[in-house]
Amino acid sequence: METTTRPAIWPWISTLARLGLAAVWLVAGATKVGDLAASARAVNAYDLMSYDVAKVVGGVQPFLEIALGVLLLIGLSTRLTATISAVLLVIFIAGIVSAWSRGLRIDCGCFSSGGELGAGRNTQYGLDILRDLGFLALSGILLWRPRSRFSIDGALMGESS
Amino acid sequence: MSKGNRDRAEKARRIVEQQKAADKRRKVTLWTSVAVVAVLVIAGLVGYTTLSEQDKATTGALVTPASAVDDGTAFAVGTGPVTVDVYEDFMCPICNNFEKQSGATLKQLITDKKITMRYHPVSILDDASNGTQYSTRAAGAAAAAADEGKFTEFHDVLYANQPEENSDGLGNDKIIELAKSVGLTSDKFATAVNAGTYKPWATKVTETFSSRGFDGTPTIVINGTKLTGPKDTVPTTDLITQTIAKAAG
Repeated sequence: METTTRPAIWPWISTLARLGLAAVWLVAGATKVGDLAASARAVNAYDLMSYDVAKVVGGVQPFLEIALGVLLLIGLSTRLTATISAVLLVIFIAGIVSAWSRGLRIDCGCFSSGGELGAGRNTQYGLDILRDLGFLALSGILLWRPRSRFSIDGALMGESS
Repeated sequence: MSKGNRDRAEKARRIVEQQKAADKRRKVTLWTSVAVVAVLVIAGLVGYTTLSEQDKATTGALVTPASAVDDGTAFAVGTGPVTVDVYEDFMCPICNNFEKQSGATLKQLITDKKITMRYHPVSILDDASNGTQYSTRAAGAAAAAADEGKFTEFHDVLYANQPEENSDGLGNDKIIELAKSVGLTSDKFATAVNAGTYKPWATKVTETFSSRGFDGTPTIVINGTKLTGPKDTVPTTDLITQTIAKAAG
Protein backbone atom coordinates (compact mmCIF):
# COMPACT_ATOMS: atom_id res chain seq x y z
CA MET A 1 0.00 0.00 0.00
CA GLU A 2 1.27 3.45 -0.78
CA THR A 3 2.49 5.54 2.03
CA THR A 4 1.54 9.15 2.10
CA THR A 5 4.79 10.29 3.61
CA ARG A 6 6.91 9.85 0.46
CA PRO A 7 7.91 13.26 -0.81
CA ALA A 8 6.04 13.89 -4.05
CA ILE A 9 9.06 15.03 -5.99
CA TRP A 10 8.76 12.62 -8.95
CA PRO A 11 5.54 14.04 -10.35
CA TRP A 12 7.32 17.38 -10.60
CA ILE A 13 10.41 15.92 -12.27
CA SER A 14 8.13 14.05 -14.67
CA THR A 15 6.24 17.25 -15.37
CA LEU A 16 9.46 18.98 -16.39
CA ALA A 17 10.49 16.01 -18.53
CA ARG A 18 7.06 15.93 -20.18
CA LEU A 19 7.02 19.64 -21.00
CA GLY A 20 10.66 19.53 -22.14
CA LEU A 21 10.02 16.63 -24.49
CA ALA A 22 6.86 18.34 -25.76
CA ALA A 23 8.92 21.45 -26.60
CA VAL A 24 11.50 19.30 -28.42
CA TRP A 25 8.86 17.76 -30.70
CA LEU A 26 7.00 21.01 -31.27
CA VAL A 27 10.16 22.88 -32.27
CA ALA A 28 11.42 19.96 -34.38
CA GLY A 29 8.11 19.76 -36.25
CA ALA A 30 7.61 23.51 -36.61
CA THR A 31 11.00 24.08 -38.24
CA LYS A 32 10.19 21.51 -40.93
CA VAL A 33 6.47 21.81 -41.57
CA GLY A 34 6.79 24.99 -43.64
CA ASP A 35 8.84 23.31 -46.36
CA LEU A 36 7.91 19.68 -46.81
CA ALA A 37 10.01 19.37 -49.95
CA ALA A 38 13.08 20.39 -47.95
CA SER A 39 12.12 17.94 -45.21
CA ALA A 40 11.89 15.21 -47.86
CA ARG A 41 15.34 16.15 -49.15
CA ALA A 42 16.74 15.97 -45.61
CA VAL A 43 15.42 12.41 -45.24
CA ASN A 44 16.67 11.58 -48.73
CA ALA A 45 20.14 12.80 -47.80
CA TYR A 46 20.50 9.88 -45.37
CA ASP A 47 20.43 7.66 -48.44
CA LEU A 48 18.51 4.96 -46.60
CA MET A 49 15.43 4.77 -48.81
CA SER A 50 14.30 5.63 -52.30
CA TYR A 51 13.37 9.25 -52.93
CA ASP A 52 9.67 8.42 -53.26
CA VAL A 53 9.64 6.82 -49.81
CA ALA A 54 11.83 9.58 -48.36
CA LYS A 55 9.38 12.11 -49.72
CA VAL A 56 6.44 10.58 -47.85
CA VAL A 57 8.49 10.09 -44.67
CA GLY A 58 9.81 13.66 -44.84
CA GLY A 59 6.34 15.02 -45.54
CA VAL A 60 4.53 13.15 -42.78
CA GLN A 61 7.22 13.36 -40.09
CA PRO A 62 6.80 17.06 -39.16
CA PHE A 63 3.06 16.55 -38.62
CA LEU A 64 3.67 13.54 -36.40
CA GLU A 65 6.25 15.47 -34.42
CA ILE A 66 3.85 18.34 -33.81
CA ALA A 67 1.04 15.96 -32.83
CA LEU A 68 3.32 14.12 -30.43
CA GLY A 69 4.41 17.46 -28.97
CA VAL A 70 0.81 18.51 -28.38
CA LEU A 71 -0.08 15.15 -26.81
CA LEU A 72 2.85 15.42 -24.41
CA LEU A 73 2.01 19.03 -23.66
CA ILE A 74 -1.51 18.14 -22.54
CA GLY A 75 -0.30 14.92 -20.90
CA LEU A 76 -2.56 12.41 -22.63
CA SER A 77 -1.48 8.81 -22.13
CA THR A 78 1.97 9.95 -21.14
CA ARG A 79 3.48 6.48 -20.94
CA LEU A 80 2.44 5.68 -24.50
CA THR A 81 3.58 9.02 -25.96
CA ALA A 82 6.88 8.63 -24.08
CA THR A 83 7.27 5.14 -25.58
CA ILE A 84 6.59 6.44 -29.09
CA SER A 85 9.05 9.29 -28.48
CA ALA A 86 11.70 6.84 -27.36
CA VAL A 87 11.17 4.62 -30.40
CA LEU A 88 11.42 7.60 -32.76
CA LEU A 89 14.56 8.87 -31.03
CA VAL A 90 16.20 5.46 -31.27
CA ILE A 91 15.41 5.42 -35.01
CA PHE A 92 16.85 8.94 -35.41
CA ILE A 93 20.01 8.02 -33.50
CA ALA A 94 20.39 4.89 -35.62
CA GLY A 95 20.02 7.04 -38.75
CA ILE A 96 22.72 9.45 -37.60
CA VAL A 97 25.06 6.61 -36.61
CA SER A 98 24.49 5.03 -40.01
CA ALA A 99 25.21 8.32 -41.83
CA TRP A 100 28.31 8.80 -39.71
CA SER A 101 29.62 5.28 -40.32
CA ARG A 102 29.12 5.61 -44.06
CA GLY A 103 31.03 8.89 -44.03
CA LEU A 104 28.14 10.95 -45.38
CA ARG A 105 28.55 14.67 -44.95
CA ILE A 106 25.07 15.79 -44.03
CA ASP A 107 23.26 17.97 -41.58
CA CYS A 108 21.10 15.68 -39.45
CA GLY A 109 17.98 17.69 -40.32
CA CYS A 110 16.88 17.36 -36.74
CA PHE A 111 15.71 20.90 -36.19
CA SER A 112 16.01 22.19 -39.73
CA SER A 113 15.55 21.06 -43.24
CA GLY A 114 19.08 19.62 -43.18
CA GLY A 115 20.65 18.23 -46.29
CA GLU A 116 24.21 18.00 -47.49
CA LEU A 117 26.72 20.30 -45.89
CA GLY A 118 28.51 22.94 -47.85
CA ALA A 119 32.29 23.00 -48.09
CA GLY A 120 33.97 24.23 -44.95
CA ARG A 121 31.11 23.18 -42.71
CA ASN A 122 31.70 20.24 -40.48
CA THR A 123 29.41 17.44 -39.51
CA GLN A 124 28.53 17.23 -35.86
CA TYR A 125 27.17 13.74 -35.56
CA GLY A 126 28.63 13.27 -32.07
CA LEU A 127 26.79 16.30 -30.72
CA ASP A 128 23.58 15.34 -32.52
CA ILE A 129 23.66 11.88 -30.99
CA LEU A 130 24.47 13.24 -27.54
CA ARG A 131 21.54 15.61 -27.75
CA ASP A 132 19.19 12.86 -28.91
CA LEU A 133 20.40 10.69 -26.01
CA GLY A 134 19.42 13.54 -23.69
CA PHE A 135 15.92 13.55 -25.20
CA LEU A 136 15.85 9.77 -24.87
CA ALA A 137 16.61 10.20 -21.17
CA LEU A 138 13.58 12.51 -20.85
CA SER A 139 11.43 9.80 -22.46
CA GLY A 140 12.97 7.29 -20.07
CA ILE A 141 11.94 9.34 -17.04
CA LEU A 142 8.38 9.47 -18.35
CA LEU A 143 8.32 5.76 -19.12
CA TRP A 144 9.45 4.98 -15.61
CA ARG A 145 7.37 7.62 -13.84
CA PRO A 146 4.56 8.70 -16.18
CA ARG A 147 2.58 10.46 -13.45
CA SER A 148 2.99 14.19 -13.68
CA ARG A 149 1.27 17.40 -12.68
CA PHE A 150 -1.03 19.43 -14.93
CA SER A 151 -1.80 16.45 -17.14
CA ILE A 152 -5.03 15.13 -18.62
CA ASP A 153 -3.99 11.71 -17.36
CA GLY A 154 -3.96 13.05 -13.82
CA ALA A 155 -7.32 14.74 -14.21
CA LEU A 156 -8.93 11.62 -15.66
CA MET A 157 -7.50 9.35 -12.99
CA GLY A 158 -8.97 11.71 -10.45
CA GLU A 159 -5.68 12.39 -8.77
CA SER A 160 -5.23 15.48 -6.76
CA SER A 161 -2.77 17.46 -8.77
CA MET B 1 -21.27 -6.08 15.65
CA SER B 2 -18.03 -7.17 17.21
CA LYS B 3 -14.85 -5.24 16.63
CA GLY B 4 -13.47 -8.10 14.49
CA ASN B 5 -16.48 -8.03 12.18
CA ARG B 6 -16.25 -4.28 11.78
CA ASP B 7 -12.59 -4.60 10.78
CA ARG B 8 -13.40 -7.28 8.26
CA ALA B 9 -16.17 -5.20 6.71
CA GLU B 10 -13.86 -2.21 6.52
CA LYS B 11 -11.17 -4.33 4.83
CA ALA B 12 -13.64 -5.68 2.26
CA ARG B 13 -14.91 -2.18 1.51
CA ARG B 14 -11.35 -1.01 0.95
CA ILE B 15 -10.56 -3.92 -1.38
CA VAL B 16 -13.63 -3.19 -3.47
CA GLU B 17 -12.65 0.46 -3.65
CA GLN B 18 -9.15 -0.43 -4.75
CA GLN B 19 -10.52 -2.72 -7.43
CA LYS B 20 -12.83 0.00 -8.63
CA ALA B 21 -9.93 2.44 -8.78
CA ALA B 22 -7.79 -0.08 -10.68
CA ASP B 23 -10.67 -0.66 -13.11
CA LYS B 24 -10.96 3.05 -13.66
CA ARG B 25 -7.22 3.35 -14.27
CA ARG B 26 -7.35 0.54 -16.80
CA LYS B 27 -10.24 2.16 -18.61
CA VAL B 28 -8.57 5.57 -18.65
CA THR B 29 -5.32 4.02 -19.89
CA LEU B 30 -7.16 2.16 -22.64
CA TRP B 31 -9.14 5.12 -23.91
CA THR B 32 -6.34 7.65 -23.67
CA SER B 33 -4.14 5.22 -25.63
CA VAL B 34 -6.83 4.90 -28.28
CA ALA B 35 -7.07 8.71 -28.41
CA VAL B 36 -3.30 9.05 -28.81
CA VAL B 37 -3.17 6.53 -31.65
CA ALA B 38 -6.13 8.27 -33.33
CA VAL B 39 -4.48 11.69 -33.07
CA LEU B 40 -1.22 10.36 -34.55
CA VAL B 41 -3.03 8.61 -37.39
CA ILE B 42 -4.93 11.80 -38.17
CA ALA B 43 -1.72 13.85 -38.06
CA GLY B 44 -0.12 11.39 -40.47
CA LEU B 45 -3.08 11.64 -42.82
CA VAL B 46 -3.02 15.43 -42.66
CA GLY B 47 0.67 15.32 -43.57
CA TYR B 48 0.10 12.92 -46.43
CA THR B 49 -2.81 14.95 -47.78
CA THR B 50 -0.86 18.20 -47.54
CA LEU B 51 1.99 16.56 -49.42
CA SER B 52 -0.28 15.27 -52.20
CA GLU B 53 -2.03 18.62 -52.49
CA GLN B 54 1.31 20.39 -52.87
CA ASP B 55 2.36 17.85 -55.49
CA LYS B 56 -0.89 18.31 -57.36
CA ALA B 57 -0.53 22.09 -57.28
CA THR B 58 3.00 21.81 -58.70
CA THR B 59 2.01 19.37 -61.42
CA GLY B 60 -1.09 21.35 -62.29
CA ALA B 61 0.79 24.61 -62.77
CA LEU B 62 3.81 23.05 -64.45
CA VAL B 63 5.00 24.83 -67.59
CA THR B 64 8.03 23.20 -69.14
CA PRO B 65 10.25 25.49 -71.21
CA ALA B 66 10.32 24.38 -74.85
CA SER B 67 14.11 24.28 -75.05
CA ALA B 68 14.62 22.14 -71.93
CA VAL B 69 16.33 18.77 -72.36
CA ASP B 70 16.79 15.74 -70.08
CA ASP B 71 13.11 15.14 -69.37
CA GLY B 72 12.60 18.87 -69.57
CA THR B 73 14.77 19.58 -66.53
CA ALA B 74 17.94 21.15 -67.96
CA PHE B 75 19.26 23.55 -70.57
CA ALA B 76 21.93 22.33 -72.92
CA VAL B 77 24.74 24.60 -74.08
CA GLY B 78 27.21 23.41 -76.69
CA THR B 79 27.31 20.28 -78.84
CA GLY B 80 30.41 18.40 -77.66
CA PRO B 81 30.53 14.61 -77.20
CA VAL B 82 31.05 14.65 -73.42
CA THR B 83 28.02 15.59 -71.35
CA VAL B 84 28.67 17.70 -68.27
CA ASP B 85 25.65 18.09 -66.02
CA VAL B 86 25.81 20.86 -63.44
CA TYR B 87 23.19 21.21 -60.71
CA GLU B 88 23.33 24.68 -59.19
CA ASP B 89 21.29 26.89 -56.92
CA PHE B 90 21.47 30.61 -57.69
CA MET B 91 21.63 31.34 -53.96
CA CYS B 92 24.51 28.93 -53.32
CA PRO B 93 27.85 30.68 -52.66
CA ILE B 94 29.85 27.51 -53.35
CA CYS B 95 28.20 27.36 -56.78
CA ASN B 96 29.32 30.93 -57.35
CA ASN B 97 32.88 29.95 -56.35
CA PHE B 98 32.65 27.02 -58.75
CA GLU B 99 31.52 29.35 -61.53
CA LYS B 100 34.39 31.74 -60.82
CA GLN B 101 36.87 28.88 -60.59
CA SER B 102 35.85 26.69 -63.52
CA GLY B 103 33.28 28.68 -65.51
CA ALA B 104 35.72 30.13 -68.06
CA THR B 105 37.43 26.78 -68.69
CA LEU B 106 34.09 25.06 -69.22
CA LYS B 107 32.97 27.80 -71.61
CA GLN B 108 36.15 27.30 -73.62
CA LEU B 109 35.42 23.56 -73.79
CA ILE B 110 31.95 24.39 -75.07
CA THR B 111 33.39 26.68 -77.72
CA ASP B 112 35.89 23.99 -78.71
CA LYS B 113 32.99 21.56 -79.12
CA LYS B 114 34.45 19.21 -76.53
CA ILE B 115 31.48 19.17 -74.16
CA THR B 116 27.75 19.68 -73.93
CA MET B 117 26.93 21.51 -70.70
CA ARG B 118 23.56 20.80 -69.19
CA TYR B 119 22.53 23.32 -66.56
CA HIS B 120 20.00 22.19 -63.96
CA PRO B 121 18.89 25.23 -61.93
CA VAL B 122 17.67 23.71 -58.66
CA SER B 123 16.15 25.44 -55.66
CA ILE B 124 17.29 23.84 -52.43
CA LEU B 125 18.07 27.07 -50.60
CA ASP B 126 14.63 28.66 -50.52
CA ASP B 127 14.87 28.94 -46.76
CA ALA B 128 17.92 31.19 -47.11
CA SER B 129 16.08 34.21 -48.52
CA ASN B 130 13.77 35.31 -45.72
CA GLY B 131 10.75 33.65 -47.27
CA THR B 132 11.05 35.31 -50.70
CA GLN B 133 12.07 31.97 -52.27
CA TYR B 134 14.89 33.54 -54.24
CA SER B 135 16.23 30.13 -55.35
CA THR B 136 12.92 29.15 -56.93
CA ARG B 137 12.30 32.60 -58.44
CA ALA B 138 15.80 32.78 -59.90
CA ALA B 139 15.61 29.25 -61.34
CA GLY B 140 12.21 30.07 -62.84
CA ALA B 141 13.57 33.30 -64.32
CA ALA B 142 16.43 31.33 -65.86
CA ALA B 143 13.85 29.17 -67.64
CA ALA B 144 12.20 32.30 -68.99
CA ALA B 145 15.62 33.49 -70.18
CA ALA B 146 16.18 30.13 -71.88
CA ASP B 147 12.90 30.65 -73.76
CA GLU B 148 14.57 33.59 -75.45
CA GLY B 149 17.88 31.85 -76.02
CA LYS B 150 19.74 33.78 -73.36
CA PHE B 151 20.19 31.22 -70.62
CA THR B 152 23.97 31.48 -70.35
CA GLU B 153 24.02 35.28 -70.31
CA PHE B 154 21.32 35.43 -67.67
CA HIS B 155 22.91 32.64 -65.61
CA ASP B 156 26.21 34.52 -65.59
CA VAL B 157 24.74 37.88 -64.64
CA LEU B 158 22.78 36.34 -61.77
CA TYR B 159 25.94 34.78 -60.35
CA ALA B 160 27.87 38.01 -60.83
CA ASN B 161 25.20 39.73 -58.72
CA GLN B 162 24.56 36.92 -56.25
CA PRO B 163 22.81 38.12 -53.09
CA GLU B 164 24.05 37.13 -49.65
CA GLU B 165 22.62 34.00 -48.13
CA ASN B 166 19.87 34.80 -45.64
CA SER B 167 19.16 38.16 -47.25
CA ASP B 168 15.89 38.77 -49.13
CA GLY B 169 17.62 37.77 -52.35
CA LEU B 170 17.15 39.81 -55.50
CA GLY B 171 13.65 41.18 -56.01
CA ASN B 172 11.83 40.43 -59.27
CA ASP B 173 12.41 44.05 -60.37
CA LYS B 174 16.13 43.66 -59.84
CA ILE B 175 16.12 40.33 -61.71
CA ILE B 176 14.36 41.97 -64.68
CA GLU B 177 16.76 44.91 -64.57
CA LEU B 178 19.80 42.59 -64.62
CA ALA B 179 18.23 40.65 -67.48
CA LYS B 180 17.91 43.87 -69.46
CA SER B 181 21.64 44.45 -69.07
CA VAL B 182 22.28 41.21 -70.98
CA GLY B 183 19.75 41.97 -73.71
CA LEU B 184 16.66 40.31 -72.24
CA THR B 185 14.29 43.18 -72.76
CA SER B 186 11.01 41.53 -73.77
CA ASP B 187 7.78 42.00 -71.88
CA LYS B 188 7.30 38.25 -72.12
CA PHE B 189 10.35 37.67 -69.94
CA ALA B 190 9.29 40.28 -67.39
CA THR B 191 5.78 38.84 -67.25
CA ALA B 192 7.09 35.31 -66.74
CA VAL B 193 9.29 36.51 -63.87
CA ASN B 194 6.56 38.53 -62.21
CA ALA B 195 3.91 35.84 -62.62
CA GLY B 196 6.31 33.11 -61.51
CA THR B 197 5.38 31.08 -64.59
CA TYR B 198 8.27 28.68 -64.23
CA LYS B 199 8.34 28.35 -60.44
CA PRO B 200 6.62 24.92 -60.49
CA TRP B 201 9.16 23.89 -63.10
CA ALA B 202 11.99 24.84 -60.71
CA THR B 203 10.35 22.61 -58.10
CA LYS B 204 10.24 19.75 -60.60
CA VAL B 205 13.93 20.21 -61.48
CA THR B 206 14.75 20.05 -57.77
CA GLU B 207 12.69 16.89 -57.29
CA THR B 208 14.44 15.26 -60.22
CA PHE B 209 17.77 16.24 -58.67
CA SER B 210 16.80 14.63 -55.35
CA SER B 211 15.37 11.51 -56.97
CA ARG B 212 18.72 11.00 -58.66
CA GLY B 213 20.27 10.77 -55.21
CA PHE B 214 21.95 14.18 -55.21
CA ASP B 215 21.55 16.57 -52.31
CA GLY B 216 24.19 19.28 -52.46
CA THR B 217 25.05 22.04 -54.88
CA PRO B 218 27.02 22.31 -57.01
CA THR B 219 26.79 18.71 -58.18
CA ILE B 220 28.90 18.02 -61.24
CA VAL B 221 28.20 14.92 -63.30
CA ILE B 222 30.40 13.94 -66.25
CA ASN B 223 28.94 11.41 -68.68
CA GLY B 224 26.63 10.16 -65.98
CA THR B 225 29.17 9.86 -63.16
CA LYS B 226 29.20 12.29 -60.26
CA LEU B 227 32.58 13.96 -59.88
CA THR B 228 33.86 15.14 -56.51
CA GLY B 229 37.23 16.17 -55.23
CA PRO B 230 38.85 14.55 -52.20
CA LYS B 231 36.64 14.46 -49.08
CA ASP B 232 33.51 15.22 -51.07
CA THR B 233 34.71 18.70 -52.07
CA VAL B 234 33.91 20.54 -55.28
CA PRO B 235 36.31 19.21 -57.95
CA THR B 236 39.09 21.54 -59.08
CA THR B 237 39.24 22.82 -62.63
CA ASP B 238 42.19 20.49 -63.32
CA LEU B 239 40.28 17.46 -62.09
CA ILE B 240 37.29 18.46 -64.23
CA THR B 241 39.33 18.91 -67.41
CA GLN B 242 41.20 15.65 -66.80
CA THR B 243 37.97 13.76 -66.25
CA ILE B 244 36.46 15.28 -69.40
CA ALA B 245 39.57 14.34 -71.40
CA LYS B 246 39.35 10.78 -70.08
CA ALA B 247 35.64 10.59 -70.88
CA ALA B 248 36.34 11.81 -74.41
CA GLY B 249 38.74 8.85 -74.78
